[in-house]
Amino acid sequence: MVRIPSTTWRTLAQRTPDKPLPRGVDAAWDAAVGIAKAFVPRRMRFLRRADRVLALEKEYRDRGSGRLREAAAEMRDRYRRGGDTDEILEHAFALVREVARRETGMSIFRVQVAGALALEAGCIAEMATGEGKTLAATLPATIEGWRGKGCHIVTHNDYLATRDADWMGSIYRFCGLRVAAIEQGMQSPDRREAYQADITYCTNKEVTADFLRDRLSLGRLQGLPSVLMAKIAEGAGSGTDRLVQRGLHFAIVDEADSILIDEAVTPLIISGEAPNPEQVEAFRQATCLAAQLDPARDFRVNQRYREVDLTPAGKDRLEELADDLGGVWAGARRREELVTQALTAREFYLRDKQYIIDEEEKVVIVDEFTGRLMPDREWRDGLHQAVSAKELVEVQSPKDTYARVSFQRFFRLYRKLAGMTGTAAEAWREFWQIYHAPVVTIPTNRPCIRQVLPDRVYATQGAKWKAIVKEIRRLHETGRPILVGTRSVRASEHLSRLLTDAGLDHQVLNAVRHREEAQVTAAAGQPGKITVATNMAGRGTDIKLGAGVADLGGLHVLATERHEAGRIDRQLFGRSARQGDRGSAQAVVSLQDELVRRHAPHLSASLRKRYGRTEREVGGPVSRHAFNAAQRRAEHLSLAQRKGVLRADDWLDEYLGFAGAEQ
Amino acid sequence: MPVDRPTFSESWYRVSNLRPRLRSTLQTHRQHYRGQMWHVLQDPSNNQFFRLNEAAYRFVGLLDGRRTIAQVWNVCNEQLGDSAPTQGEAIQLLGQLYTSNLLHGDMPPDAEGLFRRYKKRVTREVQGYMTNLLFIRIPLIDPDRFLDRFVGIFGVVFSWWGLVLWIGLLATGVYFIAGRAGDLVSRASSILDPESLPLLYASFVVVKVVHEFGHAFACKKFGQASGSGGEVHVMGIMFLVFTPLPYVDASSAWALRSTWHRVVVGAAGMFVELGIAAVAAVVWSQTSETTAIHAICYNVMFIASVSSLLFNGNPLLRYDGYYILSDLLEIPNLAQRSKEYLYYLVKRYIWRARNPRDPSHTKGEKGWLLFYAVASTAYRIFISVAILLFVSGFLPFVGVILAAVAVIAWVMVPIGKFIYYLISSGELMRVRAWAVTTSVALPALILGGLGLVPAPDPFYVKAVVEPVEMQIVHVGADGFLDEFLPSGRNVTPGGPLLARSVNPMLTARHEQLLAERREFVARRGAALVQEPAAVQIIEEQIGAVDEKLDRIRQQLASLQIRSPLAGMWVSPNIDRLKGAYLTRGQAIGLVATMDTLVVRAVAGQDVAGALMEDAAERVEIRMDGRPDKQIGGRIKQFLPAGGDRLPSPALSFPAGGPIATKPDDPTGTRTAERVFEIQVTPDPSDDVRLLAGQRVVIRFDTTPKPLLAQAKRALLQMLQRRFQI
Repeated sequence: MVRIPSTTWRTLAQRTPDKPLPRGVDAAWDAAVGIAKAFVPRRMRFLRRADRVLALEKEYRDRGSGRLREAAAEMRDRYRRGGDTDEILEHAFALVREVARRETGMSIFRVQVAGALALEAGCIAEMATGEGKTLAATLPATIEGWRGKGCHIVTHNDYLATRDADWMGSIYRFCGLRVAAIEQGMQSPDRREAYQADITYCTNKEVTADFLRDRLSLGRLQGLPSVLMAKIAEGAGSGTDRLVQRGLHFAIVDEADSILIDEAVTPLIISGEAPNPEQVEAFRQATCLAAQLDPARDFRVNQRYREVDLTPAGKDRLEELADDLGGVWAGARRREELVTQALTAREFYLRDKQYIIDEEEKVVIVDEFTGRLMPDREWRDGLHQAVSAKELVEVQSPKDTYARVSFQRFFRLYRKLAGMTGTAAEAWREFWQIYHAPVVTIPTNRPCIRQVLPDRVYATQGAKWKAIVKEIRRLHETGRPILVGTRSVRASEHLSRLLTDAGLDHQVLNAVRHREEAQVTAAAGQPGKITVATNMAGRGTDIKLGAGVADLGGLHVLATERHEAGRIDRQLFGRSARQGDRGSAQAVVSLQDELVRRHAPHLSASLRKRYGRTEREVGGPVSRHAFNAAQRRAEHLSLAQRKGVLRADDWLDEYLGFAGAEQ
Repeated sequence: MPVDRPTFSESWYRVSNLRPRLRSTLQTHRQHYRGQMWHVLQDPSNNQFFRLNEAAYRFVGLLDGRRTIAQVWNVCNEQLGDSAPTQGEAIQLLGQLYTSNLLHGDMPPDAEGLFRRYKKRVTREVQGYMTNLLFIRIPLIDPDRFLDRFVGIFGVVFSWWGLVLWIGLLATGVYFIAGRAGDLVSRASSILDPESLPLLYASFVVVKVVHEFGHAFACKKFGQASGSGGEVHVMGIMFLVFTPLPYVDASSAWALRSTWHRVVVGAAGMFVELGIAAVAAVVWSQTSETTAIHAICYNVMFIASVSSLLFNGNPLLRYDGYYILSDLLEIPNLAQRSKEYLYYLVKRYIWRARNPRDPSHTKGEKGWLLFYAVASTAYRIFISVAILLFVSGFLPFVGVILAAVAVIAWVMVPIGKFIYYLISSGELMRVRAWAVTTSVALPALILGGLGLVPAPDPFYVKAVVEPVEMQIVHVGADGFLDEFLPSGRNVTPGGPLLARSVNPMLTARHEQLLAERREFVARRGAALVQEPAAVQIIEEQIGAVDEKLDRIRQQLASLQIRSPLAGMWVSPNIDRLKGAYLTRGQAIGLVATMDTLVVRAVAGQDVAGALMEDAAERVEIRMDGRPDKQIGGRIKQFLPAGGDRLPSPALSFPAGGPIATKPDDPTGTRTAERVFEIQVTPDPSDDVRLLAGQRVVIRFDTTPKPLLAQAKRALLQMLQRRFQI
C-alpha cells in the first residue's frame, strides 16, 4: 500500500469545482441575490460584534506574556481541531488584539476589528486609507494561520509585502505562527519554504506566477485524481514534489479594487523566447507600409473604441504597396492585420502616455491607472512589436506562451477570498458577480470632514490648464499643500512645465521617476508643497500633514481629469483629509477630456459646439451630467468586458477539455 | 481587434503542443454543395454527423496523433494562405469536435467533462420536448437487420425499373378514377365524419408505416451502393399533435455522396405512398359502394395522395419536402441557416453591428436563405394558429391549454431570448443602444400605428333591393286568363288592363239574371192591371235579382285587372298562364314603382350593434359580383327590434347569402339567429341601375378606429363563437 500524505492533496486544494459564471436566468438570479445581499446590514452586525470583541479586552489585558502565549497556543490547538464558533472567534480576536497592542504598540480600534470581522467573513471591507488596514488584516490572518491551511496576504508590490511581513511578523510569531514574504527573484526552495509558512505575504504577480509554474510542473496531470494516480504509480518522482505552493485556501487582498478589478483581466503569462526573425521584419515593414497610407482615404480611426479600420480603398492600396514583398504579405488577411496593428500602434499608443522608452531602448508599458512602469508586461497580438517598430527600437519576437491565467480567474480559485481597500462601494456589483464577495463599508474611526467641491468644467484643454495653474497659485499663496493628480505621465510633465513657467516650485511624482516615490509622497503634506502625481502614484503611503497645515485647511487635492472609474477619483480625493484631518478636493475638467470624448461623444460634442473656445468656466448641470454619465458608461463597459473575458475563458475550458483544464 | 479573423489567439498555447487525432472509427464522406467541397464526418456509434469545409478538413485531416497542432496549423497556413483556419477558428473547431466526442486526444480522458456534457445534452433534450409538445418523438426499435434482409427485394423499387413501374402504376390509377372525379369530390367532405375517423386513422397509420419503410429502404439501398452503409437504427413513434404516428431516423442519408440519392431518400416516402394511392384508386373504382373495402380504399387514396403531398411534400414544414428542397438547393441545414441569415441581415444593415458573421457560403444561397426564412416563418405561424384553432374546435379546454403553451413557447420564450440577446450579446456591444432603439421602436411604431392611428372600419353587409311601393296583383274572380299585358310595361291605374279573364259561367249567369229580371218586369206590368196586390211581391223579387246582378257585374268587372298604382307591371310568368283558370285571390304579378327603390340589408348580431352605435349615414352600394360598379346611398331606417325573418330568401345561406336559416322552414326566410334590418335609400344614378330583387353589398362606414381595436373585437367575437363564452 502506498501512503500519500495529506499534504499532497492539500497542495492542489482550490475552490472545486471551479464554477463558470452563471448565464441567462441564473445570472439574473445571482445578480438579484447580490442586490438583496447589498441590503443586509452587515456593517451594523460587524460593528456590534466588534463591540463584543472590545468588551473582552480586560480578559487578556492583564495576563502576563507567558500566559498570553499559552492562551494563544491553546487557541491554536482549538482551531486545529476544527473548533470554529462565533464565541471562540471573538475571544481569538480579543487575544490577537492584545498581542498586537503589546508587540507593535498600536491599538486596534473598533472599526478595525469590524473590518477584520468582515475579512474573516469573506467580504470586501471598504476601509478608508490611513485607517490601519494592514493591522486589521492580522486578525483574520492569525485565525487562518491557526487553522493551519495557510493564508496569503496579497499586496500590490514587493516593498509592501516585505514591509508588512516585517512589521506584523512579531504578532504572528507571538501567536506561534510562522510568517514569510515572497520576493521577486527568490529561488524555488525558498519560495516553497515561504509558502509553507502559516502566513505568507506576497504580491499578486508572484503568487499567480508561482501558481502557474506549479501547474506547468504538473504537466499533463490535470486535477487531483490524476495527480494522486501518478503519485501511486510513480512514487516520489512525480510532479507534486516540485510544487512550491500548498493550495489556495484563504487570501486577503490588499487594495482589492486595484488587484481584483483594475488588473482583473490582465493575464499573467509564463512565456519563453521564440526567435522569429521573419516576423520581426514583418512588423518593421508593416510600420513602413502604414506610413504610406492616407488617413483621409485609406483608413478610419474610431476614437471611442480605439480602433483603426481599413477602408476598401485602403485595402487596395495596401495590396499594391505590398505587391513585391511576398511572404506573409501575399495573403490579404495577414497583411491587413499587420498594417492595422501598425496603425493602431501609431494612432492610439503615445509615448509617455501608454509607454516609455527605457534606458535599454525598450518599450515599457505604463499602467494607465497607476502610472507605474510595467517592465515585465507586453501588449498582446503583436501590438508590442508594432509599437517597438514604430519607435525604431529593437523589435523582440513575440514570446511563446506556456501558461496563462488572468488575476480575476486566479483569485476566483481561492476557497475563501477577502479584500480590503479604500474604495470598493462603487464596485459592489462586480465584486459580487465575479467573486461572490459582498462589500462592507466600514466607517472611519474619526468622522471624515473632507470637503469635495463640485467639478469645474472648461470648454477647452487650454482653458482648463490655465485655470488649474491659477487655482494652484491661489491655494499656494494660502500656504496649504496641494496634490495635483494627473491621468498620464504626459499630463504630469505638461503641468510641470506650466508650473515652472509660472514660477511655482513643485515636485513631480510619476512612473518615470518612481524611485523617489516614497520620499516625495511623505513630504507632500508639508506647508506650501505642490506635488504633481499620476493618479495613483505612491498609493499605500500616507501623506502626513506638516505642522500647522491642518489649521490652514489641510491638504487640497486637485484632479485634472475625471477617471474612467469613479472609484479612482475617490481614491485620489481620499489622499486628503485622512484620519479626521481637514482637507478638500476638487476636479477641474474640460469638455475635450478623453473621458467625455469617448464615452459621451454626442453630448460632449454638442456642448463643445455650444461653448466654442470660451475661456470661462462652463460648469452647469448639463456639463456635469455629461461627465457623470460618461463615467457610468465607462464603468459599465469595462465590467462587461471583464465578464466577457471570464466567459470566454469558461468556454475554452469546456471546449478544450482535451487540452486539460487551465487550472 | 478590428480585424475580421485575427490570425493569432492568445489561448493557442493551450492546444499548440497537443497531438490529437480524429477517432479511428469515424467515417469521412466527401460531398459537394453548390460547387464547394465539404466533408462529412460520421460517427457510426451514434449516427451523428459533423460537416467540415475544405480548409477545416485539411486542418483536421492532417492531425494524425504524431504531428502537433502547431505544426499542422503552420502547414495549413503555407498551403491554404488566407483561407486557412486562424488560431481562434482552429481552437473553436477542435473544441466542437471534442465536445462531439469525435477527437481522440493524447490526454487521459476527462471523465468529469464527459459526464457534464452528457448531462447537458440530456437537459437540452428534455427542454426540447417541453418546448415542442406538439412534436414528440419516442424511439422504439432498431430496424437495421430487418432492412438488411429485405433490401434486396424492396430496394428494387428505387431503381430505374422501379420508376418506370411506378409511373405505370400512377397512370393506371389516374385512368381508373378519371371518370369518377365527381364521386371523389362529393365523398371528400364526409371523410372527416366522426364515425369514419377510427378507420381513417387506422389507414393513416398503415400508410405512414409503409411511407417510413420507403425512407428506410431507400436509405439502406443507396447507402450500401455508395459504401456508406446507410444504416437505419431508430424507428419509433412520433406524437404529432398528440396523434401517434410512426417515424424513422434516416439521417445516415446525410452521408450519401450524390445529391440525387439524398433527394430520393427524402422523397421515397411520398413516392411509395403515391404508388399505394394508385393501387387503392384501382380497387376503389372496381368495388361497389357499400363494401368496407371501398371505404378503406377511399381513405387510403386520400391519405396517400392529398395529405401526403400537402404535409410531407410541403417544404415549409420540417418534413420530407424540407429535406428534399434542402438537398435540391444543396443548402444543408437550410432552416437554421436561413434564420441565421435573416439575423445577419438585421445585424448588418439595420443595427450596423461590427463584423457580423455571414452564414451564407456562396452568393447563390443568399436569395434562397432569405426567401426560406421569411416564407417558413410566416407559414409556421399560420399553421400553428390553424392547428390550435382546429384542436380547440374539438376540445375547447385542451385548446386553451395548448394555446397557452404555444404562446409561451413560440412568443414569450423567443421574445425573452431576444431581450436577453439584446442586453448581453457581445456582438452588439457597440451598437446596443441603436439595436435596442430599433428593436423597441419598430414594434412600438407598428403597435402605435395599429393602436392609435384610426383606420376606416367598414362593415360589409349583404342586402336585397326592393321597391318602396309595390302592390301584388291578385285575381279578383275566378276565370280563364284571356288577355294580358306583357311583364315589364309601365302601367297606370287608368291605363290599359293588366289582364283580363273570362268566365263563361258568370257571363251566362248574368244573361240568365237579366232574362229573369225581364220576366219579372213583364210580370209586374201584367200584375198592375190584373192583381195590384201582387205588385209589391214582384217588386221585391226584382230587387233581389238586381242585387244578384250587381254582384255578378262586380265579379265580371274584377275579371278585368287594372293596375293599382303607377309603376311597372312585373309578372315574369304571365305568358304561361294564358288560358289557365285563375282562382280568386291568386297572385299573378305585381306593380312596383321602379324609380323609388329601397335596399334592405340584414345584419347579424355581431355587426348590428356596432352599426347601430355609429354607422355613418352615407353608405356605398355595390352589385354582388360586380365590385367595380357602385352607387351611394343613405341609411333610411334601422329596425332596432331584431327579428327572425329575412326580407328575401336570397340572403339565406342555402341561396348563397350570409345568413344561416333554419333548415326546416319551407319559406327559407326564418333565420337561425336574430337578425336586424337596415333600410337604405339608394341615390338616383344614371350610371348604375338597381333592379328590384337584386342582391347587393352595402358598405357601412363607422367612425375610424385603430386597427388594433378592430382586431381585438374580431378576435373576441371569434373566441365567443368558438367557445360560447
